[in-house]
Amino acid sequence: MEQADLAAAVHSVSLWALFMQAGLIVKLVMIGLMGASVWTWAIIIDKSMSFTKARRQFDQFEQVFWSGQSLEDLYRTLAERQNTGLAAIFVAAMREWKKSFERGARSPIGLQMRIDRAMDVTMSRESEHFEARLGSLATIGSAGPFIGLFGTVVGIMTSFQAIAGSKSTNLAVVAPGIAEALLATAIGLVAAIPAVMAYNKFMGDAGKLSARMEGFADEFSAILSRQIDEKLQPRQAAQ
Amino acid sequence: MKTSIGTSLVLHTVLMAWALVSLTPPAPLEVSQAESISVDLVPVDSITQTQQGEKSAPKAEKAAPKPTKKPNIVENAENAGDNDVDLKTPPTPVTKPLKTETAAAPKQNEQPVPNPSQENNEVKDIVPEETAPKPVETAALPTPRPEVTPPTPKPEPAPTPTPAEQPPAEIPLPTSVPLPAARPRPEPPKPQEAKPAEKPAEQKPDTATPAEKPSDKKIADKKQETAKSSASQKSDFNADEIASILNKQEAAGGGAKRSQAPAAAGDKKTIGVGLSASEVDAVKGQIQANWSMVSGLTGVQEVRVRIRVELDVSGNIVGQPEVTATGGPESTRRAVEGSTRRALMKSAPLKNLPVEKYEGEKGWNVLVLNFDPSEFAL
Repeated sequence: MEQADLAAAVHSVSLWALFMQAGLIVKLVMIGLMGASVWTWAIIIDKSMSFTKARRQFDQFEQVFWSGQSLEDLYRTLAERQNTGLAAIFVAAMREWKKSFERGARSPIGLQMRIDRAMDVTMSRESEHFEARLGSLATIGSAGPFIGLFGTVVGIMTSFQAIAGSKSTNLAVVAPGIAEALLATAIGLVAAIPAVMAYNKFMGDAGKLSARMEGFADEFSAILSRQIDEKLQPRQAAQ
Repeated sequence: MKTSIGTSLVLHTVLMAWALVSLTPPAPLEVSQAESISVDLVPVDSITQTQQGEKSAPKAEKAAPKPTKKPNIVENAENAGDNDVDLKTPPTPVTKPLKTETAAAPKQNEQPVPNPSQENNEVKDIVPEETAPKPVETAALPTPRPEVTPPTPKPEPAPTPTPAEQPPAEIPLPTSVPLPAARPRPEPPKPQEAKPAEKPAEQKPDTATPAEKPSDKKIADKKQETAKSSASQKSDFNADEIASILNKQEAAGGGAKRSQAPAAAGDKKTIGVGLSASEVDAVKGQIQANWSMVSGLTGVQEVRVRIRVELDVSGNIVGQPEVTATGGPESTRRAVEGSTRRALMKSAPLKNLPVEKYEGEKGWNVLVLNFDPSEFAL
């Protein structure tokens, strides 16, 4: 039976025929790798879109922030929105500032610390959002070739068993089985190569964005600390 | 995220569809069909060591040519076959020449018959005259010259004397054929006066033809001879008939060496086969039987003897055999060499050596034996 299959397969070596004549394990491996490829590209598309969006938002916010507009006004406009990135950090810091300062904070150092904490938490949440799903890209990139190789090894094993059964070493008998097995590795590489490249690129982008957020947070913290000093000293002097 | 998954799926399906359509199986490799050359792997043994046998026959322990049918005629024949003469050429198949023979012979016979009969008559006229007794010739030669001229002017007088001599039987001849009868008649009577007198008496009752009487013997001889000669000369002068006669003999080559054993694989000729291990052992045994070793020699175990001896076909030693001992102490070596040489000389002529393995590079015309004296003489 195996022999007949191999004999029939000699003339059909198109991709679909190669896939259809593969064994169950090899088929599963190939389907899984195709799914991984779909997932990889979904992540790539999603990330590239979200990163460009985030970069644009950062630019816009920095422009607004450094335009000399009153921070109170900016806070008021942003507070109602669902904020991300720099705006979220700004809103978190301002919220903490407002809460502490309006109720009459006693210690400027405590206020400074709370504001920094709030900014840190927001920043880590934001950067977590940036790096979300990049881990699966890394997994696909590193494991994809191995999964494909596994499919290939299984396929070649079965095809060699078939050769042993047919008792013929003719290349026409050997070739289709090996081509079919190698298809698994090919799909694995197809899934893994973009995943690795995208992972490296997006990790770099995420690092740049978080650095930008950190820089903004430090600067904003400096501004707020100056504000705290300016506003608390008269109050303390008055007391 | 959902949108991006959707886009990714769409992209993949599009890509897969495109791949299925456009990535058709690659064009099969155009491998030029080189003509396969059949190669026979021939070990050197098949050239240096072959035994007479049949090439296509299955292998057997002893090679043998095709079994022959005829009794053995030629002594010491070398080439196997049914021939009466020991030829080196292999036997040729007989099927083809037979067909051409039967087809060609009858046609050619019809044409040549008229030609030789005309030519032969002229030739035969001379031949019997030469073979005929000399007195006839001497008598005949002078006659034609003077008589040729007279008979033509005298046709009528010639018949008259003859009827007088032979009146009863000559009645039909002159009437039917006057001219031819006239010529022979004058010729014989004049030169052979004695003979006609004898012949008519004898031949009158035998034959009714009187005109031929004088030359009856000649004519009769001529008739017989022409008959013979025409029969023989038909074939002699016709090239086609010669060919047909030659074809009647089967053009069969082959030697005259008969063989009874069933055909077994082998070559055309026995070139030379080395002695088998058992045959070598047999020779060694003959020598060892004559071996008398001095006992008590030191280091016999290390000594090895090599004998190189030239033999003739009957097993006699030709020239001086080379006996070389190696290993062991000098004195032991010398003693072993001497005893080996004595044993060899005693055992000559060596017996039970197969004659067919005498010739050749590996044959026993030069026999090389290696002995370990410690094995049998201590």
